[in-house]
Amino acid sequence: MNVNYFENIIIAPPKERIYARLKFAKGKTVLEDSQALEVEEHISQAASLINIKGAGVIAGVKDVEPNKVILSDGIVFESQQLVKFLEGCSQILIMGATAGQKIIDAISENNLTASVVFDATASEMIDESLNWIVNYFSRQLVRESKHITKRRYSAGYGDFTLDNQKIICDTLDLKRFGVSLTQSYILTPEKSVTAIAGIR
Amino acid sequence: MKNISGFLRKRVFILDGAIGTELQKKGMPSGVCPEGWCLDNKEIVTSVHRDYVSAGSDVVYTCTFGANKLKLSKYGNFNVRKINKELTQIAKKAVKGKALVAGSIGPSGKFIEPFGPLGFEEAVNIFKDQVKGLLDGGVDLFTIETMMDIQEARAALIAVKELSDKFTIVTMTYEKDGRSLNGVDPATALITLQSLGADAVGCNCSTGPKRMVDFIKMIKPYAKVPLVAKPNAGMPQLVDGKTVFSMNPQEFASYSSAFASCGVNLMGGCCGTTPAHIKALKRKISKFKPIMPLVKSISAVSSARKSVILDVDGPLVMIGECINPTGKKDLADDLRNKRTSIVRRLAKDQENAGAALLDINVGTSGVDEKEMMVNIIKMLSVSCDASLTIDSTKIDAIEAALRIYPGRALINSISAEPAKIKRLLPLAKKYGAMFVLLPLSGKRIPHKFEERKAIIEEVLTKAKEFGFTTDDIIVDGMAMSVSSNPDAAIETLKTISWANKRLKCNTVVGLSNISFGMPQRAQINAEFLAMARASGLTMAIVNPMNERLTLSRLCTDLLMNRDRDAREYISRFTKKESTQKVDLSIEDKVSLAIIEGNRDDIESLVSQALKSSISADRLVKQAMIPAIDKVGDFFDKKQYFLPQLIASAESMKIAFNFLAPHLKKTTSTSKQTVVILATVKDDIHDIGKNIVALMIKNHSFNVVDLGSDVSTEKIITEIKRHKACVVGLSALMTTTMVNMKDVIFAAKNEKLNCRFIVGGAVITKKYAQSLGAEYASDGVDAVRVVKKLTGK
Repeated sequence: MNVNYFENIIIAPPKERIYARLKFAKGKTVLEDSQALEVEEHISQAASLINIKGAGVIAGVKDVEPNKVILSDGIVFESQQLVKFLEGCSQILIMGATAGQKIIDAISENNLTASVVFDATASEMIDESLNWIVNYFSRQLVRESKHITKRRYSAGYGDFTLDNQKIICDTLDLKRFGVSLTQSYILTPEKSVTAIAGIR
Repeated sequence: MKNISGFLRKRVFILDGAIGTELQKKGMPSGVCPEGWCLDNKEIVTSVHRDYVSAGSDVVYTCTFGANKLKLSKYGNFNVRKINKELTQIAKKAVKGKALVAGSIGPSGKFIEPFGPLGFEEAVNIFKDQVKGLLDGGVDLFTIETMMDIQEARAALIAVKELSDKFTIVTMTYEKDGRSLNGVDPATALITLQSLGADAVGCNCSTGPKRMVDFIKMIKPYAKVPLVAKPNAGMPQLVDGKTVFSMNPQEFASYSSAFASCGVNLMGGCCGTTPAHIKALKRKISKFKPIMPLVKSISAVSSARKSVILDVDGPLVMIGECINPTGKKDLADDLRNKRTSIVRRLAKDQENAGAALLDINVGTSGVDEKEMMVNIIKMLSVSCDASLTIDSTKIDAIEAALRIYPGRALINSISAEPAKIKRLLPLAKKYGAMFVLLPLSGKRIPHKFEERKAIIEEVLTKAKEFGFTTDDIIVDGMAMSVSSNPDAAIETLKTISWANKRLKCNTVVGLSNISFGMPQRAQINAEFLAMARASGLTMAIVNPMNERLTLSRLCTDLLMNRDRDAREYISRFTKKESTQKVDLSIEDKVSLAIIEGNRDDIESLVSQALKSSISADRLVKQAMIPAIDKVGDFFDKKQYFLPQLIASAESMKIAFNFLAPHLKKTTSTSKQTVVILATVKDDIHDIGKNIVALMIKNHSFNVVDLGSDVSTEKIITEIKRHKACVVGLSALMTTTMVNMKDVIFAAKNEKLNCRFIVGGAVITKKYAQSLGAEYASDGVDAVRVVKKLTGK
């Protein structure tokens, strides 16, 4: 498969979403200058520890059965809900990204205030990196009058069981970025994600 | 029309519109190789080109956007050179000499190092294959388009320029936020690309005309080349599941006035535009007289994401000097072991301290300077935004660095030494770098200003032969130690003053040289900085973390009116002075420190409280617990958010730890109610549980935290061992939350008399009830629930 690898996905920390994740309420939460400075410093430090690497590949949909999607490269995803999600899609985008191990180490090694901000920054940045990958492919697909579905679907949603994470990881060869799966198919390092989007 | 630059003075050049969507309308099916299909359907391609010429296009783009080795390989075994040649010939034949044919080069489809796995030279060679085919076919000019990555645009431009001197357009594609997908903004891309030899720069695709006008307006003041705009016909919209661009030709053309007045020189359309759009555009925009570039040269450097305009009348620009192994054993050892962690840290620290540029010098024994310089440039291009200064005595290291650096670099330095002039000026020219002009001509150091002036003039004369202007050059005032030459500072100041007034160019010094061998060096350096600023110094190679120098810089910028509205000065000092506190009782101070999450002072405040005969138990009950309860209340009301809550909890924990030996047993943790916490089996996410642990501990409970991914058996064993009253279980995922049920079921089977609380991102109150457990939505709620369950 012709997988695109992105060794360094550079994105700014999505501050609004990070603050929202930390339960900041606009117009209600009152932040002293020193507290604001500390949070900003933690976000900045987290961003310097996060090295997002990602991968994405477009695969053709060869056949669809009521409970499975068969891709042109022989990959089969079994899930009724995924079939419904991909209705009308001739291709799919399979993608994955990781924030790397350094930020995970920093989360466990620092004080809890820093850790919570690091955690929120990494979570939002890794989520944003999937938007980045979608944008990358969208830029090319728009020239073919195609578009990528706004929503993404991940293993663990509904009947698209978590073991599909292995198929996605193997397809994208995410181990080249140091990503592996636990016995229960959870991605490590912790801030790693995979997803599927449809192409119409 | 072949003299494009001459023609551009007369009117706005009209480019073509979308090709892909036109071909689709005329039958090109989805999923085929577009270039292969074009070769099989020459008549259709010809008709599209002709339609654009009839509509008024002065230039048509060849149908070779994806005709590179990587993209074509997806569809089979194509001969890259041949396919580019033939598609160019189709375009040439179609236009019949009525328009120029631009060889279109699109992205390779892979990201290039340091942003992706494709090697830089491999990318240059891939583009060169395409360029050769386009030249074989007889293109009149080149257009490198829809680039998302500045490094890829550079690779393509280098490929073209190494094979041809034809007019070359480079257009990037920007997102709505005004940056390309890889983070470069339009001004930074312009500075990088025009210095590298692009003949016209601009943007295409991605946005509609409305947003693209902003980009053109933003970059015009810095452009020494004509500007290009090729917007889509509005933003793509989904209609009946299909992507459509809804802006009609009249509406598209209505932006002509805006584009012309902000200085666009070449304009066409991208996705969704048609010959009708181009016709309408031409009719409207032809009425406007083109605005040619406003500047002939510009003093500016750039990185992959940020540029620095070196304004001789602006604030002092700091070049961080710390990445240099001379006298730094740790750094030298790191470099010898091919490690870059210290460099990464020094870069970040200097950038945070305000350095706009970072000097990179890796020259030390046992280090392959060329290899290390390239590695560091790749690493820093990804991890920091500051522009880089290539500081080396090795010409091959400088050349390798300039080739890979994804911005406009500064070379430190070029002197009048014949070997340097001969090799480095052409290199600086080829890669568009600025350079520091060091007034040295041989081994003897010119001590007097007059000698330095003569050398500077000699280098300038030679540089001008290569097309450099004084905007491309920064004169080094050459600071030497006053300990060995009492006139050293005076001669340097004369050099700076002359270069500033007569050449009107930027000037720089390696500041700390002036004090070498003297006591109180920091003081001398700071005073000299102020004197040099007054003489016209615009840049300094310094340690930006040096507080004394920072103060001097801020003060001189303020006093010389280079700090607009004193913004930097005021913001710096108001921050430091805002932390003063009014006088409070010591108990109130402890309370306030917890409320404010002041982890720095809490221990000394608690210590002061004990010294003033306040008992530890009284302090806990009357100051600390009410304070942390107040914090919980703030959090409930959303007046505090999570970091504030936790900072307060951490302050409380520090105070508790300090007070532990002084507390009576009822208050200390040794005989307290045991609460066990665990993240269930198969789940590794534990930060929420850690917050809960901290919060509960602060309310005098004995928390036993078992960590994450804890088996049911282990939890049951620990409940028995500690005789736990309450057990808190967390899970982040729907796939692991089911393991909570196993634990609660096992505890019932074992007839354990403990109560359960569950929580986590996916857990709901309903789910908790179904398990017969309590639910806690966050750390504050968890404290409330534990208190309720234990009757405290």
